[in-house]
Amino acid sequence: MGIKNLVLDLGAFKVLQEDPNAKQQDPILSGWYVDPRTGQRVFYDSTAGKFFTLAGGVYIPLGYMNPAPKQVAVAPGDKLKITLSFKYTGPAITGVTGYYCLGIYGTFGFNETMVGQTTFSIPQVVTPPSSPNVTDSYTFTIPTSIGTNWDDIYVKIFGGNPSVGGSATTSFLFGYENALTIAGIEPSITEFKISDFAKV
Amino acid sequence: MVTGITLAPLALEQTTFNVGDTVRVTVSFNYTVGVNKTVRLFAGPYYTNLLGKHLVDQCVGDADVALVPSSTPAAQTATVDFILIPKANSGIENGTYGLRVWIEDTNAVAEQDDVIIVTGNTGSSDMFSSMMPMIMMMMMMGMIMPMTQQRGGETEE
Repeated sequence: MGIKNLVLDLGAFKVLQEDPNAKQQDPILSGWYVDPRTGQRVFYDSTAGKFFTLAGGVYIPLGYMNPAPKQVAVAPGDKLKITLSFKYTGPAITGVTGYYCLGIYGTFGFNETMVGQTTFSIPQVVTPPSSPNVTDSYTFTIPTSIGTNWDDIYVKIFGGNPSVGGSATTSFLFGYENALTIAGIEPSITEFKISDFAKV
Repeated sequence: MVTGITLAPLALEQTTFNVGDTVRVTVSFNYTVGVNKTVRLFAGPYYTNLLGKHLVDQCVGDADVALVPSSTPAAQTATVDFILIPKANSGIENGTYGLRVWIEDTNAVAEQDDVIIVTGNTGSSDMFSSMMPMIMMMMMMGMIMPMTQQRGGETEE
């Protein structure tokens, strides 16, 4: 089976993007807010620049999971290549960790069932790019034990020198819900119908 | 005005079979599976009464269907045979039955009411029907004979 690609675009680094004022829509003060779209109560940490929700007594970062723009069908033995990209302007960074996850995203966060990591470097860039200028990728081999609900995916980058952020505190994470259609060990059958019956 | 009612012909036409016939059912479906997998396809007649639908277990047939790995929905057809075992062999009675087909350990089920008409049983119920005129005649004779015997007795006196 061939390699199947899922490309994730992390977008622009917030502090270094071309027009920082254009997307400055986050609330300024830390505190509880109501998401006008979902009605969900969310907490905004202005220091970290992140949204959180409270579930099971744990604050969970919000906003890094998004509806998948497409679904990729995979089966045991397939290779799934996930590529991340982003626009970067700034000094060279060495030893950045790319962190790739497949799993189940739910109320209590992301259950990481498969994890892959890479290490890559970012060259110095002085001119803001018009398109993503840094990419990295990781290729998973889908195991026979894969669950048919391991259909969510997220990536993040952290570490490096100078550091772009800690593993748990990095702002550079992004994910897709229902990104995969998984053919597991048990068959999934649809459109089952009787075509004909006759004496033989 | 939109009624929301869609008229469509029945998928299957009612067909008459004799007991002892073998019925071949063809099904179609789409599937995804990650490994080579063999599933078991079942088919059989069922009847409906006040307590619901009841499969005629003695007549259920099965067949294995091999599925090759496919991560995208793949079209598949399969056939399964079942035999209409006569009532005399603890099988099916004459009448009208539905047809049910399903795949074991999945949610794949298809059925349609009143598509199988079974005839040809010469079991106990038919024997009773054929003997009914004779029984009726004997009962009538049983009623008439005492009357004639009684009338004949009076004449002798």
